[in-house]
Amino acid sequence: MFACLYIPDFSVQASLLPDPAERRTVLSRSPIAILDGPANLPRVFAANPAARRAGIRTGMTKLQAEICSGIELRKRSLDEEKLAHATLLECAAMFSPRVESSCPGVAILDLAGTEKLFCRPQKSPTRGALQKDWRQTDIWTRAVQIIVAKVSEAGVNVRIATAINPDTALLAARGFSQNTIVPAGREASYLAALPVEILPLSPEMLDTLGNWGIRTFQSLAALPEVAIVERLGQQGLYLQKLTRCEIARPLIPVESQAEFAESFEFDDPIETLESIFFILNRLLHQLCFRLLSISQAASALRLAVGLNVRQIHRGKNHTPIENAIEEETVEHEWKLPIPTQDKNLLFGLVRLHLEKTTFSAPIRFLRIAATAVKPRLAQGNLFAPPSPEPEKLEITQERIRGVVGDLDAEGVACVGSPRLLDTHKPGSFSLDRFAPSSETYSYEQKVLPRPASTPGSEQPSVSHAPGPTIALRIFRPPFETAVEFDGQKPHFVRLWSRHRRVLAASGPWSTSGNWWNVSAWAREEWDVALKMPAGVGFYRIYHDRLGRQWYVEGVFD
Amino acid sequence: MRAALLKAQIEKSLPSAFTAFRRQDQGSIPTGIPQIDQVVQGVPLHSLTEICGSSLASSGKTSVLVSLLAHATREHYCALVDASDAFDPTSGHAAGVSFSRLLWVRCGKNRVKLPPLEQAFKVADILLQSSGFGLIAIDLSGIPERIVRRVPLSSWFRFSRVIERQPAALVFIEQEPHATSCAGLVLRVASAARDWSSHPSQLSPDGVCNEPARFSGNLLMQWNLNVEVVRGRQKKPPGSERTGFSLTPQWV
Repeated sequence: MFACLYIPDFSVQASLLPDPAERRTVLSRSPIAILDGPANLPRVFAANPAARRAGIRTGMTKLQAEICSGIELRKRSLDEEKLAHATLLECAAMFSPRVESSCPGVAILDLAGTEKLFCRPQKSPTRGALQKDWRQTDIWTRAVQIIVAKVSEAGVNVRIATAINPDTALLAARGFSQNTIVPAGREASYLAALPVEILPLSPEMLDTLGNWGIRTFQSLAALPEVAIVERLGQQGLYLQKLTRCEIARPLIPVESQAEFAESFEFDDPIETLESIFFILNRLLHQLCFRLLSISQAASALRLAVGLNVRQIHRGKNHTPIENAIEEETVEHEWKLPIPTQDKNLLFGLVRLHLEKTTFSAPIRFLRIAATAVKPRLAQGNLFAPPSPEPEKLEITQERIRGVVGDLDAEGVACVGSPRLLDTHKPGSFSLDRFAPSSETYSYEQKVLPRPASTPGSEQPSVSHAPGPTIALRIFRPPFETAVEFDGQKPHFVRLWSRHRRVLAASGPWSTSGNWWNVSAWAREEWDVALKMPAGVGFYRIYHDRLGRQWYVEGVFD
Repeated sequence: MRAALLKAQIEKSLPSAFTAFRRQDQGSIPTGIPQIDQVVQGVPLHSLTEICGSSLASSGKTSVLVSLLAHATREHYCALVDASDAFDPTSGHAAGVSFSRLLWVRCGKNRVKLPPLEQAFKVADILLQSSGFGLIAIDLSGIPERIVRRVPLSSWFRFSRVIERQPAALVFIEQEPHATSCAGLVLRVASAARDWSSHPSQLSPDGVCNEPARFSGNLLMQWNLNVEVVRGRQKKPPGSERTGFSLTPQWV
């Protein structure tokens, strides 16, 4: 058995989907028409029943449509239609793993083997035994009710038809104005009264059939096959088989999506964040609902913000001669430490990012996409040390980035876990994303000594030192200095605007690298003990042999 | 008799009004330097700790911090708020810091309008709100003393009250102590001797323990330091206790 989920007035319903539920209910009762076509001459592309009752017809110009009092004219949005269709497919996927996306606004699902989803055993009031003798018609009637209710929760009104083959279900859903269960074995007679316009006909073929006086399925089905092939070719035979409900084709299921996206385009560019947060909240609500509906969670989140950049070209006298508007997109991505379906967490991340970002132009559209993966089912390691909650930690790090910034002048992150780079160049490090892992320290790791891992290697970043070691405090960036030599050793070093006497010096330690490219470096290091007012300072100084300049790198402290 | 009656009456409306608040000993994190751990039993949890030392002369406060991080990251997730971006990952790696459990926040590196000290305090606030870190270290020793001195006492008091309710240690690295009575432990670290210039002979090899450092040829082999417990959990009113310890370079 197959069920066809059909969205009547698809473009109108798609345009209403981003609206809140209450407003959607009110709007669906008032006349709405969707305009499409060139900007200078848009025409009515679709209309809802209220608009049709008010006299709106497809193909009317905008001026003609505006004559109708109380009509709301909306521009057709392909993004909204994609969103509505994706919502439909996701709702269908909640009931069957085999869903076909036939055309926009239509989904066909295979209901074979899903009976137990819809017929729950009930206690018989008289005998006290489980009532299991559900009739097939009852099952599909209940299935239709449940599916309609679920899809309505997502904000879409659908019409459903069930039939023994997918094409019959599709034709019944299109042809009848209410939910239909086509009885098995009587499909052709059940659809006999439907008009031929709902068949996938070309305009020429529809004209031909009209000229022959063929108006309904029954009259087309009654024609001789050979005569149809002679006159209309194989396409005609295919249409006749459709009217006879004789086409049994396999369903072509859609593959599950790896990415879920929601977008919203503003009618006018927006300059205030409050309006954007309002829309973002709704987009994330829809995104999380879709993820929840298929038991998935977001492992990464991508935000794209479209800006309306105004380009003013000036003439010779510096007078503006052209005022062009260009689209510019700013993107940001979050890789979440654990997959989440929490709307508030995702909204918090996006809000904190937007609050600290300054956009150069008003915002035209928002697009938010999530990579869907299976949610985390296992609990954390019982033997791992107490760690910040991963969801909370992500917000914490985003807040910290809002205070200290994302990157420094050299492009290194300001917040994260340090990692030494696989190079001999001193002071080379990067910051990775800080995410608590489930690693634990075993007895051997805690107690037994082990060799220190080399910088940048894949070994765990823990080494064992025999005892407390001297740490270096780095001056970033290193500051320039002047060094006076007494023979082979430094005698005076200029530090904090004064000459400091060198009490002891160790060096030179020569290192170099990257001589084969532009980032070449070569230096001679000295560790010096300097006489300071507060005592003795051990400093590391070095001579940049390429730049011929002395620097103070840090102090041993 | 009358005093006892009054006490009973007051305690009837204000229970335990005359009971002295005794802070429970709720664990500590060892610094990894046996001499310090013997004296103060490590850095206390639920408490604010200050480790002070000169910033121009080498005092050893950063080495104590790195050693503390190395031991703390074995059992806890730690955060280092680096107000002057002075942490050296190579030194941390050599000391045994587990980088995967360390959140390093580098302040003052981005073109953010806030000054580094304010950034560090704001980040410390955020970290304290987000529980889960066993040690939160804030390195202010690169900030000029005259600026840190302006931090109002209410800030230190707030930190002290917040950390009291968390199973974490809050450690400040500074040039001078500022938290006064808000700090549960104050350590002052300094080189073992200040008068090197007057005793250049002490730079010669084969020095003894009370020498500031021990050299082998040109190489520094050992650096001797003193730590003074300015304020401790066991001592009220504050007393002073000194002990010495040695640090070795990474190459030894």
